[in-house]
Formats: sequence, structure tokens, C-alpha cells
Amino acid sequence: MTDYGQDLLFGTFITPSARPVQKAVELAVAADEYGLDLATFQDHPYQPSFHDTWTLMSYVASRTTRIKVAGNVLNLPLREPALLARAAASLDLLSGGRVELGLGSGAFWDGIAAMGGRRLTAGQAVDALAEGIEVIRSVWDTSSPGGVHVRGTYYTVDGAKRGPAPAHDIGIWVGAYKPRMLRLTGRLADGWLPSLSYLPGGPSDLTEMNAHLDGAAEAAGRSPSDIRRFLNLNGSFSAESRGFLDGPPDQWAEELAGLTLEYGITGFILAADSPAAIELFAKEIAPATRELVAAERS
Amino acid sequence: MNYGHPLEFGTFVTPGNAPPHDPVALAKRSEELGFDLVTFQDHPYLPAFHEMWTLLSWVAGQTSRIRLAPNVINVPMRTPSVLARAAASLDLLSGGRLDLGLGAGAYREAAAAMGATVLPPRESVDALSEAIDIIRALHDVSSGRPARAGGTHHRIVGAQPGPAPAHHVPIWLGALKPRMLRLTGEKADGWLPSFRNVGRDGLVAGNKVIDEAAVAVGREPSDIRRLLNISGTFSATSSGFLQGPPSQWVDELLPLILEDGVGTLILATDSPAIMETFASEVIPALRAAAPAPTTFKPSGVRAKRRPGIGYDELPASLASAAVEPGDVEYPLVRSNYMRGGSPGLVLRPSTDAEVADAVAFAARHRHLPFGVRSGGHGVSGRSTNDGGIVLDLGRFKDFEVLDTAKRLVRVGAGMRWMEVAAALEPHGWALTSGDYGGVGVGGLATAGGIGFLGRKHGLTLDHIRAATVVLADGTIVRASPEEHPDLFWALRGAGANVGVVTSFDFQVPEVGDVGWAQFVLDASDTAQMLVKYGAAVEAAPRDVTPFLLMGAPQPGQPHFAQVMAMVDSGDPEKIIADLTPIASVSALYDQNVVIAPYAAVIANASSEPHRGQGEPISRSGFVRHLTPEVAAAIARLLGSGATPFFQIRAVGGAISDVADEDTAYAHRSANFQITALGRNRQRLDAVWDREMYGVTEGLYLSFETDPRPDRLTDAFPPATLSRLRTIKAAYDPTNLFRDNFNIAPSESAA
Repeated sequence: MTDYGQDLLFGTFITPSARPVQKAVELAVAADEYGLDLATFQDHPYQPSFHDTWTLMSYVASRTTRIKVAGNVLNLPLREPALLARAAASLDLLSGGRVELGLGSGAFWDGIAAMGGRRLTAGQAVDALAEGIEVIRSVWDTSSPGGVHVRGTYYTVDGAKRGPAPAHDIGIWVGAYKPRMLRLTGRLADGWLPSLSYLPGGPSDLTEMNAHLDGAAEAAGRSPSDIRRFLNLNGSFSAESRGFLDGPPDQWAEELAGLTLEYGITGFILAADSPAAIELFAKEIAPATRELVAAERS
Repeated sequence: MNYGHPLEFGTFVTPGNAPPHDPVALAKRSEELGFDLVTFQDHPYLPAFHEMWTLLSWVAGQTSRIRLAPNVINVPMRTPSVLARAAASLDLLSGGRLDLGLGAGAYREAAAAMGATVLPPRESVDALSEAIDIIRALHDVSSGRPARAGGTHHRIVGAQPGPAPAHHVPIWLGALKPRMLRLTGEKADGWLPSFRNVGRDGLVAGNKVIDEAAVAVGREPSDIRRLLNISGTFSATSSGFLQGPPSQWVDELLPLILEDGVGTLILATDSPAIMETFASEVIPALRAAAPAPTTFKPSGVRAKRRPGIGYDELPASLASAAVEPGDVEYPLVRSNYMRGGSPGLVLRPSTDAEVADAVAFAARHRHLPFGVRSGGHGVSGRSTNDGGIVLDLGRFKDFEVLDTAKRLVRVGAGMRWMEVAAALEPHGWALTSGDYGGVGVGGLATAGGIGFLGRKHGLTLDHIRAATVVLADGTIVRASPEEHPDLFWALRGAGANVGVVTSFDFQVPEVGDVGWAQFVLDASDTAQMLVKYGAAVEAAPRDVTPFLLMGAPQPGQPHFAQVMAMVDSGDPEKIIADLTPIASVSALYDQNVVIAPYAAVIANASSEPHRGQGEPISRSGFVRHLTPEVAAAIARLLGSGATPFFQIRAVGGAISDVADEDTAYAHRSANFQITALGRNRQRLDAVWDREMYGVTEGLYLSFETDPRPDRLTDAFPPATLSRLRTIKAAYDPTNLFRDNFNIAPSESAA
């Protein structure tokens, strides 16, 4: 049993399809109106049927009032970290603190290379992500003196000015599965953002992954509760139970509460491209889950 | 020298981030004041500024009309391929409001400190040239193939183009030195210097270099718009260039327009007062004094024009939304759902008067094919063509409830049926259409409309109470039982022949949740199954309307039929009771029944642009009953393998309550409508003519592609055809509307 005690967050994972042009925006607006906490978007700049994720996030933030936006996760190999840091700070200032930064070390290297990006091995990509995070945090850190001086193997930012400071302390959330990335997440990140569908053994895989995160956090002098655990969810709503996250809302609430209490997951992000699913998740499943978790914790 | 571009005005707003919303407010103010565009500089190394692209995207969400442009992007700090996708996205999200100012980079040390690769000046121009190639390659979806561009400094290697932006995103270069000016002439759509940096002499010299470079690569100097950043202050007395009263500004700016060809003036200011004075006192005076613009298309677009079309004679009302083969939107509008096309011009009017202009334009091009398109699903109608004109009604999307008590609604001809269903659903209403929500209103409602509520509520066209029609001579009329009753009769079944309907008034029934069933029946003995099925359908209550689908038998697999049936009831027991006899005609392999709103059932289409290829091949007919003779003929047709997609739609019921002579659709006594799609015209025609023609009566024109003249008399029985010829002579005597089951006007009546 691992529960890090944070409040629960509920969000959507919206396909950033470019057609119909406004569909992703409309879904995010619906999620905002229904009261979800997060609208998140995958980032595959080599995918021609998708909107550019940063442009879409900026536009969505402009069209919403309350919900936070985040990449899930941004493709760091095709987004220069110093520029990304300034862009994130800008959007955070414009939106009144409604941006979080989901980051990934990159996948689909053929696609990245086709776009003119640098092809890295998995190990190199982990190191590059660590450097990128250092660059981003340094740009945001206006309390330290002097300019940004990160001289890395993959990114060198040497003498750039710091700032602007974002409106709030933007969380860096990392999509991680393998031990090296998990250790990086425990050491450097504010959040962990895996997808349930990528866990070969299902939720029980989370136990060992949490152990990597917790160990790395403690080794870096941090607390395991410094890292919020998110989970991207796929599932179905149906009148009768047909399996895990495939059933009626009260079954969902019980299963999500179980993920919180057993595995410390406190951010649930539903892959949903229909307003009806978003509404059900926001209006029925989120409050019921919060209630169950509050009852167990008290 | 003037290059003939329409005169435009913009603002250049400092993207400061403290307070963060100041530049947003100035952008909104620019829009309110009527400026054509708002622009922002891009200096990512300056922490006092917003990151430009984020700001631009945010402003897009806060404005609705004004165009947006970077002025100019520091290209060395961005990945051109990602920038291309971002530009396409922002152009799409903003509704085609993005222009792209690019620069080869400045503030080299600050850029390098951010981690950018900074090149010597000469190479930075080469790098910019590669970046332009990459952006253009990723915006060009016409080939559908992966793109390669760039090479030395930037590259894409097999990246798939897309998404296509909403319009051709023009690229303007901030150029000063000769190499950059030459690149502008060779590749760009605009030149964007600042007056402060070039001065009058620099404008003259720069224009010369650009013009020569353009001509040297086969472009025209007018392909490059000349833009200019300016700044100044208003004061009662003059103290220098653009330092004085508005009249002085006009006197100083006018020569730049008239003699140096500047088409866009961009005012750099963060002062709302300066913006207001410029908008109210300088812009009107400059517009009044500037020469009238010519209709502008770049030479690259004009090179792809088709012969015989007076592109430059298009009225201004149609020119801005028209799409020609060289336009970036062309791949999205050229084809239909099932038919590939290469029209020479697609007109996209948005008002009845513009439709009249479009009809008049088509009438001046009688030598060319002329198609009218609502949703682009037509199988029989040629709503695309090769080298001709297409009138696309896709912008007629208005929906209005005219009378709640009478359930009277007005529906634009360009709506899709799933959109209509979604609009009706909150009222507890539904209107039967076809079986696919992506079909457009106009084509279906003027031909018939054989849908899932047909046996209960009739054809779609049975619900028309009035329509707005643009006639061949450009007259806009109302057709109803009282106004132009002959026209009203004809457009319900032969609408494509008599005019362009832009909106329909429908009286729609109350429809609550419906039962929606899909099941699979054994069809090993196809003929026997069909006879039983036919009897069960005819015996079923009118609430039930089933469609049956079959394909050719596959070796080694049981032959089966798929049935999709709607029951106009939300009562599960009634739904099951109504469907059971139909589902029991042979062994049941699979079944699924849900209760849902009609709108949810018909929301089954994608909103993707059509990418049809080739020509659809389809035959159609009606039968009163699925007799043993008919069923045996169908079994032989399916057994021939000539039709991979075969459908029997139930009609009858309420459809048969209307007399044949009441509308131009005259197949009221049938209980079934039969369609066979084929891959090969000769093969399908041979089998259909042999097996089916003798056992069917008439045809449903929406599903018939046989061009032989006999089909006209199958579509319209003699009395109907005779009346249609008379009406055609009155409403379209020159036979302008001739591309869908053409009815030649009766000479005696003409």
C-alpha cells in the first residue's frame, strides 16, 4: 500500500487531430466546462494528421478559463529546451498559471529523423532529457544570479538570460517506464506520467516502478511524495462490468480509488474524444472516486 | 510602380510580458479599429518578451477577424519542419488568418547563448532558403507522398506533408542585403523591411533587386507583396518624417504606395491613440487615393489554370472564396466521396446573391461541365468534373427553427444530415435522411431521401414545405404550394434539373429515442432467405425500417446478409417484438440492439475532406415485393460476383401514402429499393441488364450511374417526365443545369 496523500486530479487525454479543425479545442472546452482539472495532448510533430501540440495547447488555453493544459508528453528531441522554457513561461503568464510541462525523451526515432531531428539511442535520450530539464529549470529560475550556464553533451545554453519567471511553479512531468527513466523522474521531476496500456502486467507493474521512483527520490534527498503519480487511462463505460475499467461509473470509481490507495496514483487522465465520456468522467466518476478516497484516508 | 495588391494595414505590437496581457489588448484593439493584421517581433533570447509563437496562438484564440503574423521569425532558433506544422495548425485554428514573416536571424550572440546554431551571414541565407523549401513542402499535400527538402543546414527526409493549412500561408522575408533580396524575389510571397532600416532609397533599390530576381526564375514582380514597417507620432506641427499631423502622414506615405509599390503598411506602436488616429484619419485617405487593386493570384497559381475559364472576370463576391487548381485548398475540394475530380474552378458562395453570381458565371461558361455540390456524396450527380465549374454550397450551414408549434425548421443546403440530426435532437425531433450522416442536405432532399424512418415518416422530400431556389437566370425565388407550385413539385425528385436550392423549410416529426439493431442472417440459400425477409418486412409495423446489405459469396465462408434496422420507438419490448419476425427468417449469427437518439445513430460519418478516386459504378431499381422470381434474380446477381456491395432498402409504408403524381419522385408503390455497386461498368451492366432489369421497375436516381439515355425514362415515368420537360422549359430553357439525369426542355412549351 502506497498512498502519497495528494489531492486527486482528473483530466483528459485528447487526440490532437487536425480535422475537424476545432474538434480537440471543443473537447477541451467541454472538459473545462465539466470541471476537469487537466486537458492534455500527445505530441508527435512528425504525424501530419495532428495539430502542432504547442500551438494547440496555447490556443486551447486562450479559449478556456479554468482548466490546466499540458503536453502528454512533449517530444523534447524536436523542441529546443531553452525556447520551450520561455514558451511555457509565456503561456503560464498569459493563462494565469494554467500550464504544466509533460516531457518525454522521444520515441519514433524514424519520425524524428525524418523531421530533421537528431537520432539518439534510448540511453542518450535519457541523458538529453536530464540536460533539457536542467536548462528549463534554469531559464525559469530568476532568483539565481547571472545567466544560464548549462554545458551539456546534448544541450549547451551558455550565457542566456534567465526568465521570464512563470506565473506559478510549473510542474515537470515525465513519461517514464524503464528503470533509467524512472530514476531520472524520481531525481528531477515533479510528476510521473505513464500510460496504463503500456504496462504489460497491468496496474500491478506500478509497484516496482514506484520503488524505482521512490529510491531515486530519496537518493537525491527528495521525498517520494514530491512526485505526483499520474496514469493515462483507456477504458469503456458500459452498464455491466466486463473487465478492469470497463463497466459502470461506480465500478470505475472503486477501481480508481484502488489505484490511489494501493499504488499512489493521484492523477487520472482519461483518453476520451467524446464529450459524453468527458462529462461522465468529470461529473460522476471524479466525485465518486474523491469520496471513496477521502473515506479511506480519514 | 505599383504591383496591384489590395492595400492592407497592420500593427506591430511589442510582445512585452509584464503585464502579460498588454500585447493581447493591443491586438484586440487593432482588430476593433479595422486593421487587417497584427504582428509581433520574435526575440526568444529576451526574457522581457513573450515567446512570440505562444503569444500569436493565444491572440488567435482572442480574436476572430484580424490576420496574425510574426514580424519576423528568428528562423535559426526554430526547427523549420516543426515551424511548418505549427504554422499549418495556427492557420487552421485561426480560420486562415496566419501570414509568416521570416528572417535569417539577428542578435547572433544572444541566439548562440540560447543554444542556437549561428551561421555566418552568407550561409544563414542559404539556411533560410532551405527552411522555406521545408515549410512549403510540408504544406503541400497534393502529392500525398513523403517529402524531402533542404539538405545542408536544415532537412526533412521522408516526412509526410500535412496538415494542409487553411489557406496558402504567405511567406514574407525581412530582407535588407542583396542575397536576402534575391531570395525574396526567387521564393517569397512578400518583402517586409522596416522603413527605419531601408529608407526611401533602399526601397527603390530593393524593389529592383527583387523584381529582377523574380523575373530571372520565371516569376512576376507582382508575386511579391511589398510590406513596410513604419513608425511615427501625431502632432499639430511637423518635426520630421511621420512626425506631424495626419495629413502630413498621408502626403508622406502615399508616394511609397504609388511609386514604390508598398501594398501593406505596418504601424509600429504600442499607443492606442496613435493606432486610432492612423485608423481613422490616415487609412481612409490612403485607401481613397490608392489605385483600385486587381484580382491577385500569384503566377505559380495562374500557371495551373484550366483553359476556357475567365478566372479574372470572377466577381469580387466570389473571388476570395473561390478555389482554383493552384490553390493550397484545392486537394480538399477537388474530389467527392466516391468520385475523383479535377475541376477548373470551385465557387463557394455564402449568400443567395452570391449563388446567383455563381450561376451567372457558369452561364457564361456553357462550354464547360457545371456541377452543383452540397455534401459531395452524389453517386449519380456530377458534383465534381474535369476542367469545369463546381458550385459548392458547403457554406450554407444555417439552421433555424421557424415555428416550434408546427415543428417547422429552415435548413441550409450545405449542412450534413448528421448536423441536421444533432440540431433537431434537443427539440425531440428527427428527420429521416439516408443511411450515412455525411451526406449533404441539398442533393438528397431534391432526389428523394430513403432513410431509416422512411416507412414511418416518408421520404425526406415529403417533409419539404418550401425552398429558396436560385434559378438559371439568377432570379432568387421561393417555391412552395403557393409560390411557383410547378417548381415546388419538380424540385421534389428532380431538383438538380431546375435550379439551385440554398435552403429548405422542413416540417419535421417528433421522434424520441429509437431502437437501432444490427444483425447478421445466414444467406446460404439467398433466394429463400430474401423471400422470407421481404414478407417479414412488409408485415412489420411502419415503425420498422430495415436495410439489408450483402456482398458476393466468398469461397469457404457462409454467405450472409447484414441487416440494419431502425424502430421508431424507445420501448425495448416493442423493439424486440417488432424485430423478431425479421431476425427469424434464417439462422441468426450475430445481433446488437441499442436504444439511442436518431442523431446518435446517424452520427456515423467522418468530417474528413473527400478523397474519392475514379468513377463510382452503380445500378438501381425498385420492386413491389421480394417474390421468388426477384429473389432468384438477386441470388444470381450476387453469385456473379459483379457487385461487392448490394443493398435492399425498405420503402413503402408512409412513402406509399403519397400519390405518384404529387411529386417528381414517382416510385410510391414499391416496397423495396435495390442498389448494386460494381467495380467494372461493363460487367455490372451486363449482369444487371440480364438478371435485374426485367424484374425491377424504375430506378432511384441517386444510386444510378448508367449513362445510357433509357435510364431517364426509368427515373421518371412518362407523365412525370412530360410535366418535368414543360417545367424545365419554363425555369431552365437553356438547360444550364444538365449534369444529373438531364431532362431536355420540352420544345413545344419553350
